[in-house]
Amino acid sequence: MTDEKDKTPEAVVDIERLGGLAGFGGPGAKIRSHGTIALSDLSAADRARLEALVTEESPAAPMPDEFLYRITRQTEAGSVTIDVPESRVPQALRACVRDELM
Amino acid sequence: MCGHCFIIPKDVLERLSHNESLEAPTRAAMERTAMLDTEIRKLRIQNQRLTSLGMQLLPGLEKPMAATPPKVLVYDCQHGTTLPGVPVPTPGTSGDTTARTAFTETTELAKFYSKVFGRNSIDDQSMSLVSSIHYGVDYNNAFWNGVQMTYGDGDGRIFLDFTRGNDVIAHEITHGVTQHTIQLAYTNQAGGLNESLSDVFGSMFRQWQAGQTVAQADWLIGADIMGPVAKAGGYTCLRDMANPAAKHALAPQITHFGQYQNGMDPHHSSGVPNLAFTTAAKALGGKSWERMGQIWYRAMTGYRPSPNLRMAAFARRTRKAAASLYPKDAKVMAALDLGWKKVGL
Repeated sequence: MTDEKDKTPEAVVDIERLGGLAGFGGPGAKIRSHGTIALSDLSAADRARLEALVTEESPAAPMPDEFLYRITRQTEAGSVTIDVPESRVPQALRACVRDELM
Repeated sequence: MCGHCFIIPKDVLERLSHNESLEAPTRAAMERTAMLDTEIRKLRIQNQRLTSLGMQLLPGLEKPMAATPPKVLVYDCQHGTTLPGVPVPTPGTSGDTTARTAFTETTELAKFYSKVFGRNSIDDQSMSLVSSIHYGVDYNNAFWNGVQMTYGDGDGRIFLDFTRGNDVIAHEITHGVTQHTIQLAYTNQAGGLNESLSDVFGSMFRQWQAGQTVAQADWLIGADIMGPVAKAGGYTCLRDMANPAAKHALAPQITHFGQYQNGMDPHHSSGVPNLAFTTAAKALGGKSWERMGQIWYRAMTGYRPSPNLRMAAFARRTRKAAASLYPKDAKVMAALDLGWKKVGL
């Protein structure tokens, strides 16, 4: 029987949605949008898409008022954070954020 | 058009299409997407080149104003995210309030730009105005994607239908005007100016429709899309141009150029030029679009494209425009100076 402490921590993806017309998540902003999803809950295609985004050298800039997603992938190997315009973010990652007032 | 064709770089798509650890249907889909992506990227680059080339060639020629007003087209995303969606055949008489509002307010905005500034649509050449409505599910945003406007329905809690804000519609369409004139980037100081121009013309359109003077105007952005939960929290708008740091704004902004830092979200740094315009317009009095708006329009459209323009350079342009448009009216320059000095420029 495996001790709970010996379990490998689950790899997760932390997502924050920024900008947009309302300026989500800016300094002093009263609105934020955040979500987390386990890497194992993503389809193989979405994991591949995420891998492609993480390894991309020059990410595109957002179009006016387009949301920007700050995506942090946390694995045993460490964490990587990238900023990606919404039009390039897989739907499964977009769908896991929730908007809330602070 | 497809709203999701730029998710993955082409080289990565091609690599994935040959990755045997992925299932065959996934590899085939990656291959098809890579091919489609290549063609759409070519179209987008060509569109940008055409816009820039037109800007370079036409200033030396007499650019006749197209005689016909722009077509106003509305598409329904039906809560999906593929753009533009399904055409709405007669949006002006549609039973869908959102379609009717998008059509009516976009048509009114085209009249505003034509009557007040002598501009025929986004490109001054009668470009069709394309709007997509009902984008996504409970989607709390509206945006300009380089060729068209897109509006979410809001979640009904924090935000209502984004087409309810005539200033929101004017804000998004003005991003198109910026793209076809001054071509400001969307980062650093140019990004703040880009956002501010959309707020300035958004607010002026709202005031124009209501026939308000600068004293009667509330100078709020997004007041008509605030939902019940946001209102209950004391938030009356996204931004307050007259008081950018206000606590009743969902996203307060900086109020002085001394607070500016590179890398700021454009919606945050736009507080500086927003406050300059509002202060100047209020100091001058009357209606915002009659004189101060004309100065801002000249500074936006009267020069070659300036993607990396700084705020101080934009302020200088407005001073030149004021001297040129109103050489005998000292009050105009005094009001303008008051506005820019208030924000440290």
